[in-house]
Amino acid sequence: MARLLPTVFLIVAALVFPYSVDRIFLHTPIEREMGTAQKIFYFHVPLAWLMMAFAVTSGIAAVVQLRRASVRAEATSLAAAELVLLTGLGVLITGPIWGHATWGHAWTWDARQVTTGLLWLVFAAYVLVRRYGAAGSDRLAAALAIFGAVDVPIIYYAVRIWNTTHPGNRVVATLPAEMWNSLWPALIALTLVSVALLLVRLRQELTDIALDEAWILFNERDGHEQQHS
Amino acid sequence: MRSGSLARQAWILARNDLRQESRDLELVLTAGFFSLVVLVMFGLSFSALDRHAQVLAIPGVLWLAVAFVGALTLTRIFDREREADTLRALLVAPVERQAIYLGKAAVTLLVLVGCNAILVPGLVFLFPAAAPMAERPLETLALVVLGCLAYTSVGTLFAAGLASSSGKNVLLSVILYPLTTPALLLAVVATRALLEGHPLFLTYLGQLAAIDVVTLALSVWLFESVLVGADASARRRSAAGPRR
Repeated sequence: MARLLPTVFLIVAALVFPYSVDRIFLHTPIEREMGTAQKIFYFHVPLAWLMMAFAVTSGIAAVVQLRRASVRAEATSLAAAELVLLTGLGVLITGPIWGHATWGHAWTWDARQVTTGLLWLVFAAYVLVRRYGAAGSDRLAAALAIFGAVDVPIIYYAVRIWNTTHPGNRVVATLPAEMWNSLWPALIALTLVSVALLLVRLRQELTDIALDEAWILFNERDGHEQQHS
Repeated sequence: MRSGSLARQAWILARNDLRQESRDLELVLTAGFFSLVVLVMFGLSFSALDRHAQVLAIPGVLWLAVAFVGALTLTRIFDREREADTLRALLVAPVERQAIYLGKAAVTLLVLVGCNAILVPGLVFLFPAAAPMAERPLETLALVVLGCLAYTSVGTLFAAGLASSSGKNVLLSVILYPLTTPALLLAVVATRALLEGHPLFLTYLGQLAAIDVVTLALSVWLFESVLVGADASARRRSAAGPRR
């Protein structure tokens, strides 16, 4: 059953996504100040939430990996980190498009823009360390993921700490009901796709680790046999 | 068996590094000279700026120089241990692992603050807009120490991790710069506030101190796990390399 979960999630997402697009563009009122450009909000905000959720997931999994030497936690941390890169790329593409339409500049060096970019760079560094690091660098990468997760609240409160042009954290909370109702389908569709990808990468990574273990076992047995012969 | 308090053990380890440093002055001279070179290069690049633009450029010059010198210092400090294979000896010695971290961090901090003794007067000499740094030495010292501490606390953890995992030094910069940028960004903002005499300077300093506390606590907590771990995964990864 667990093997079928990603497929089920992707099928449900394929059904919800067209409904979400239809609802956002044809049945949700156009925002008075920002106009049609505000429609990107329905994709930008869920992607930003998912990015932060995956960063926290990667950080928590990294803590479990370091504390309990858990292979499953290690694979989860890596898969979640890769999804931070993917969803982060979405945030960093949709954000400037929205910003260009609203503020007249794609990149304003706003505190939350900068910290989101930094979070993306931290997890890009994580993936680089995992890919090119020497033996034992998986623990180093885990520490990097934990630092990345700690960066998440800094991003959230950056708006309050520094002066910024970015919409405040209360924007979503004060949305009219019809806009909230259009946000949910987009959030559900994007979450389902992301979680499906997470599960696929998790399974791939666990298979990779199992192959590593089998290779070591094979080498050790081979070594023993050579010693005895 | 562990001997002495954590602070005492850290002091003994730091003193040992300082004693070694006092014999050949390798770190002090190379990091100091590098600071001077970076300062001259920035000075040449920004010499034509007017006073207003200097206020915007000086904080960036200062903290970029700290970031560059910091990476050099951290690499060298742990290269010594790697060359002599003494990090392994330190890890099996009867001392708290956190004391190793604190000792190394203290030495790095000292070197970085020492480099600022070249950078800050140099900036004051080269750029008229940097004069407030000389006029408010205590605030400048607090800013330099807090900014360097944020960089050192994170840097020491990852430099030690790379040294113990026989990792590639190039990865230190890959890790260090994104992780330390939020703290350095705040240090830049605080430096600009100092130069402008902005009333929020102390608030920024307080926020920098808060980041220091978080990064230091997190690094101390993670140090042992990163260096030795309780896992078989290191063995797995090192042994499984040739499969790919």
